[in-house]
Amino acid sequence: MHVNVHGTLRRDPWFLSGMTLSLFFLIVTLLGPLLVPFSPWNMDFIPLSPPTLTHLLGVNDGGQDIFSELVYAIRNTMIFGMISASAALFMGVLLGALAGWFGGVVDLILMRLADVLLATPAIMILILVAALFRPSPYILALILSGLMWPTIGKTIRAQTLSLKQSLHVRAARQMGGGSGYIIIRHLIPEMFPLYLIGFAAKARMAMFMEASLAFLGLMDPSRKSLGMMISYALKYYYMDIWWHWLFPPIVCLSLLIMMVTFLAISLEKVVDPRLRVNLHGRTS
Amino acid sequence: MASASRKFINNDLGLVVTFCLAALLMTFLSYGLPRFLPGDFVTATYGASQVTLTAEQESALRAYYGQGRGFGHYLSRVARFDWGYSYVFETPVSALFFSALPWTILLMGSAHVISMAIGFVAGVEAAWRRNSPFEKAMVGGMTVLEGIPEICTGVILLFVFALQLQWFPAAGAETAYAEKDFLAHVADVGHHLALPLCTLILAYFPGNFLLTRNSMIMVIMADYIKTARAKGLPALRIRYVHAARNALLPVVTRFGMRLAFMITGALVVEKINAYPGVGTLLYNAIAARDLPVIQAVVLMSSLIILTIFFALEFVYRFIDPRIHHAR
Repeated sequence: MHVNVHGTLRRDPWFLSGMTLSLFFLIVTLLGPLLVPFSPWNMDFIPLSPPTLTHLLGVNDGGQDIFSELVYAIRNTMIFGMISASAALFMGVLLGALAGWFGGVVDLILMRLADVLLATPAIMILILVAALFRPSPYILALILSGLMWPTIGKTIRAQTLSLKQSLHVRAARQMGGGSGYIIIRHLIPEMFPLYLIGFAAKARMAMFMEASLAFLGLMDPSRKSLGMMISYALKYYYMDIWWHWLFPPIVCLSLLIMMVTFLAISLEKVVDPRLRVNLHGRTS
Repeated sequence: MASASRKFINNDLGLVVTFCLAALLMTFLSYGLPRFLPGDFVTATYGASQVTLTAEQESALRAYYGQGRGFGHYLSRVARFDWGYSYVFETPVSALFFSALPWTILLMGSAHVISMAIGFVAGVEAAWRRNSPFEKAMVGGMTVLEGIPEICTGVILLFVFALQLQWFPAAGAETAYAEKDFLAHVADVGHHLALPLCTLILAYFPGNFLLTRNSMIMVIMADYIKTARAKGLPALRIRYVHAARNALLPVVTRFGMRLAFMITGALVVEKINAYPGVGTLLYNAIAARDLPVIQAVVLMSSLIILTIFFALEFVYRFIDPRIHHAR
């Protein structure tokens, strides 16, 4: 599990552009409320007015400042992606390590559950839940992570199986290390680069799903989101709103998805040669 | 013990059990979740109105809209294509679904076939010319394209080709009320299909390309390719008969994982281009809170996706005999 990850990554242009984008979006997310000139829910302005110096991107049909909306929308998409990806990573690592370490019935049950969840289309469950109950986005993010963990879990399980046979883990076991101790002190820290890949891949899926659900009108309408901005702006497609209302959320959404795609692809490239040796066969 | 469980998972029976459980889970969710809602359609519609229903009328209405009764009854209704009546259109849900399904199959099917074919050939060719400017440009371009979701490509294509250039229609799947002979009709359908199809191809193609290219690079390094070269086989034969067959495996296995993205993308693309498929039906049903339609569309598309997954498992065994012989 020891690769020169830093050296290879620092020279990878995809990783660097991904990191630059994520730095930018993290700043927007953290400082969002301080950056915006108006509250995005403030409806005092003249609807559908073009961009001016006070309203950088103009005003939407409801009389709200589009720039402020955009900042809040980026923030919401980022937060949704982070929550969902972290929860999926946590579940995947925990359940994957448990399945790999204990084997037997635990493995059988957890992996069968993972297979069932992998086969069920997550978006359909999300649509059903969102359409029926209108839950808060945090609940949707957690449901999504409950459906997304199996890919991470299977990778972690396969890696645990091979680590289980390694000398230092066997030594730790011989010296009387308990299961909990070995999993927390040896297995989990050793698989570090895998977490980054898993996190980036799941954040990508979560952001994509959030934008699509919002676009389909399944999110709380008062919550600002990129998908919903696009869907509202499309209703006025015949007007001159393309450059200041429709394209900004499109560009931001593309950049967000690109950010996680670049990170996932570059990390996978670094870790993959070894993964291919250890995880031969079906891992998805 | 680990080998025993793996054997079980690779088993045909294990596979069937997994898919049956997944199908049952989806059916149960679509049956059970609406049950947690307070009230129902009948009380919502007639509760506040001037009309007072007798107990018989109320139960007749409930039966008409297919509410109440147990899970077994629901299962049998699903199997009999009796999915209740749409609240909004007041037509059977199955009629709505089956009138929308062919358009979705046409759109998604052609998008997958085209993007698979060109993605695969481009990936094989790129891997063969590794480190050439062509390969580098392709990989760079495809990585960027992979980061642009369907919402964005769809809206941009709509803006450029439907609104600015006006080459393609912005909505629909065929010209309404047009009386045409067969060929003109096919051309008309193709003309309407072009924009959503291009959007989906742009979304699927980069993934197919990158996966093929990556796995092909690994395959090319294998010893048996060296042998094939040493034998003096023509390059085209090595590329497609020897190497590409094995490079195809990850593309098929990863297909299932990517399908989640693809379904979501297709829903969005249908909505953007107002294409009258299942995605638009679902969108309109969501907008109108048309519960039976949402319920049936979600369940039926999930079952169709599960069937595709299930079929893929057998495709995978067919193209990778190792799986079959490993047992």
